[in-house]
Amino acid sequence: MKAYSRISLLTAFALISFLVPQLNAQDWVRTGTNLGNDRIRIAAADVKPVGDDPQTPALKTAFDFTLYGDLASAGIFDLVSKSLAPQAAPGSPQEIILPQWSAAPCNAAMVAFGALSVAKGRLVVYGWLDDARNSENPQVLGKQYNEEASLDMARTIAHRFADEIILRLGGGINGIAETKIYFVSSRSGTKEIWEMDYDGQNQHAVTHLGTISMSPRISPDNTRIAFASLGIDGWAIRMYSLEIGRLVSFPAGVAGGLNQSPAWSADGKKIAFSSSRSGGSEIWAADANGTNLRQLTNFAGPDSSPTWNPRTNAQLAWVSGRTGLPQIYTMDEDGASVQRLTDGGYAISPSWSPSGLFLTFSWNRKYGPGAPGGQDIYVMDISSKRWLQLTHDAGSNDFPSWAPDTRHIVFERTIGKRTDLWSMLSDGTEQHQLTQTGNNFMPNWSWK
Amino acid sequence: MDILLSGGEQLERGLAPEPVMAPAAGSLLLHGGLAALLLAYGFLGGLFHHSQWGSVAGGGAIQVKLVSSVLPLPSDQPPNENVLATDTPSQAPAEPAAKEKQAVDTSAIEIAGKQVKPKQQTVARVPQSQVTPQQNNKAQYGEQAGSSIARATQAPTPVTIGHTAIGDADFGSRFGWYVSNMNQAIGSNWYHQEVNSATPKGSRVYLVFTIHRDGTASDMKFAQGSGSPTLDRSCLRALQRVDSFGALPAAYLPSSLNVSYYCEY
Repeated sequence: MKAYSRISLLTAFALISFLVPQLNAQDWVRTGTNLGNDRIRIAAADVKPVGDDPQTPALKTAFDFTLYGDLASAGIFDLVSKSLAPQAAPGSPQEIILPQWSAAPCNAAMVAFGALSVAKGRLVVYGWLDDARNSENPQVLGKQYNEEASLDMARTIAHRFADEIILRLGGGINGIAETKIYFVSSRSGTKEIWEMDYDGQNQHAVTHLGTISMSPRISPDNTRIAFASLGIDGWAIRMYSLEIGRLVSFPAGVAGGLNQSPAWSADGKKIAFSSSRSGGSEIWAADANGTNLRQLTNFAGPDSSPTWNPRTNAQLAWVSGRTGLPQIYTMDEDGASVQRLTDGGYAISPSWSPSGLFLTFSWNRKYGPGAPGGQDIYVMDISSKRWLQLTHDAGSNDFPSWAPDTRHIVFERTIGKRTDLWSMLSDGTEQHQLTQTGNNFMPNWSWK
Repeated sequence: MDILLSGGEQLERGLAPEPVMAPAAGSLLLHGGLAALLLAYGFLGGLFHHSQWGSVAGGGAIQVKLVSSVLPLPSDQPPNENVLATDTPSQAPAEPAAKEKQAVDTSAIEIAGKQVKPKQQTVARVPQSQVTPQQNNKAQYGEQAGSSIARATQAPTPVTIGHTAIGDADFGSRFGWYVSNMNQAIGSNWYHQEVNSATPKGSRVYLVFTIHRDGTASDMKFAQGSGSPTLDRSCLRALQRVDSFGALPAAYLPSSLNVSYYCEY
C-alpha cells in the first residue's frame, strides 16, 4: 500500500505542475529619451455630421471648435492646422485613409476623428483616435457618447473626448478639459465668487452675497467652496455648497479677528487658513466640518496664505513676514521643520504643485522704489530651491494656481487699471487671457 | 449436522480468499484518482486558459502570425551594451607559430635489422605565388549565426465561422502610442539640471523596469551605468516621479510589460 500511495502522490504532483497555468510571455520594450521631447503631431479632423436634424450644424461647429482648442492648449501636442488636413471628413475607421493624414502636408502622427448625429433630442458622437503611421494596428481609442442635444453638452462631450486622448498620449496624466476655475469678479458691482470652464467659456456667478468675497478654494470633490468674506462679524471663512446652492456652516472660521486665505488638503479633510483671533496673524487648521481647530504657527510677524502639500497632506507652505518683507516658508503639519525657500524680495501667494515637487508663487525679487523688475510668477523646485521665472515684463502678476495636470497655471495679471485672469503652461509659454469683462481676481483651479 | 457444519467450515476455510483485495483496492483507487486528476486538469485548464486566447468567440480557430515567441531566436534579453560584446570584431592575437619539427634523436642506438623507411619528401604542391587563404583570426564576439528558419510563418487561413485573428507582433509595433506616451511621461519628468554639466554629451544610462497592468512601474534597476553618477541618478528619479503611465492597453494580454529605457545626455 505504501508503494501505491507514494506512486499516486508522485503522479498527482506531476499533474498539478501541469495544471499551473503557463505564464504569459511578457513583451520587452526598448526605448529612451535624450534632451528634448518632441511633441506629438496630432490632427483633429472635423467630425462628420450624420442625418439632417436642424441642430446638427451648430452642435458640430461647437464640438469641432472645442476639441481643437482642448488639444491645442494641452501642452503636449503639435496640432495640425485645419487648412492642412485632407478634404474629406472621415466618419468611421473604415472611411479614413490614413496615408493621406501621415503624408505631407499634414504629417500627422495621430488623427482624431468621428461622427456626430442628432436624433430625437439626443446627441450621439462616435470618436476615434488612430495612429496614422501604424497601418496594422492603427486604432488607439474608440469612444461613443450619447447625451442630450445642446450646445453645452456638445462642448462637454468634446472636453471628455479630448481628455481621453490626453490621458492616452500625455504620459498617463488626466486631461484638464473638464476642470473649472473659480475666481472673484466685481463685474456685478460687488466682489462675488464666479465659475468658468478652464478655457474661459461658460462664465457665471456662484454666490450673490452682496458683500466682499475673496480667495475662493474649491474642495477636492468639487462640492464646496471655502472663501473669505466680510460679514457682520468681520472677515470670516465661509463655506458654500455647490450641491445645495447655499452657504453651509463652518464654525471654525468665524471666531473674531481677520480670517482669510483658506486652503483644502488634497484628501478634503482639513482646511488651513490664517486668522488673527489670538493677536497676530497666524496659520490655523480645522477639519472640513469646522471642528478640531488648532493653531499651527506662533511666530513674531504675520503668517498667511497657507497651502498644503497635496502629495502628503502633512506639509504646508505659507508666507511669513518674520524677517520684514514676506517670504515663502515650508513646515510640517505640526509646526516642525520650518524652512525658508525664498532668499529675499517680496514673495507671496504660494500654490503647491499636484506632484508635490514644485511651488509656484508671486515674487518681486528686487523690491523697493526704483528697483528693476516687477511682481512676476515663479516656479521653485522645493528640494533644490532652484527657481524659474515664468512671466516677464507684463504687468503685475499674482495668485498663481496649479491645474491638476501640473502642466498649466492660472494667475491674475494687472495691466494699468484692468485685472484679468490668464492661463499658461507651467514653463511660462502659451499665455492666454481667459476673462475680458470686469475685473477678475484670485483664480483657483479645481482638482478634477 | 456436526459433520455438515464442520464440513461447511472446511469448505469456507478452503474457499478463503487469497490476499489480493488490498492491492486490488489500491490499484482501483490509484486509477480512479488518475482519471479524476485528468478530468480536473481538463476542467481547470479550460478555466485558466480562457483569458489567454480570448475564447469569447466559441469554437473559433485562431490565426496567429508567429514572429517571436516560438522560433529559436536569440534569447529575449535586453541588448547588452557592454563594449566587450561589440559587433565590430577585434583583432585576435596572431596565430601561434608552427611547431618545430621533432628533432631526430641521434644518440639512439639503431636496432639491427630494422628497415627504416626513408621518409617521403613532401613536395610543396602549392606554388609560392598562389594567394594564401585568408586567415579568419577575428574574435567573433556578439555575433550569432543566423537562423535558417523563416522568421514569419503564416498558418493556412482557417475557414471557420467567427475565427479570431491575433497578430502576435511585438508590443512596440502594436501599441506605438503607449511607448511614446511612456517617453513623454519620463522625458517630461527628467530634469537635465540635475546632471553634472561635465558629463560627456551622448552618455547613456540604461534602466530596466516593469510596468504593471494599472500603469505603475516597479523593479527599477540600472542595466548599465553611464559613468556619470548624476546622470544615472537623474534618470532614475525621472522614472520614480512618474506615478502611473496609464493602464496598459486592454488588447495586451500579459499582466506586465518589461521596459529597457535609456536617458541620453
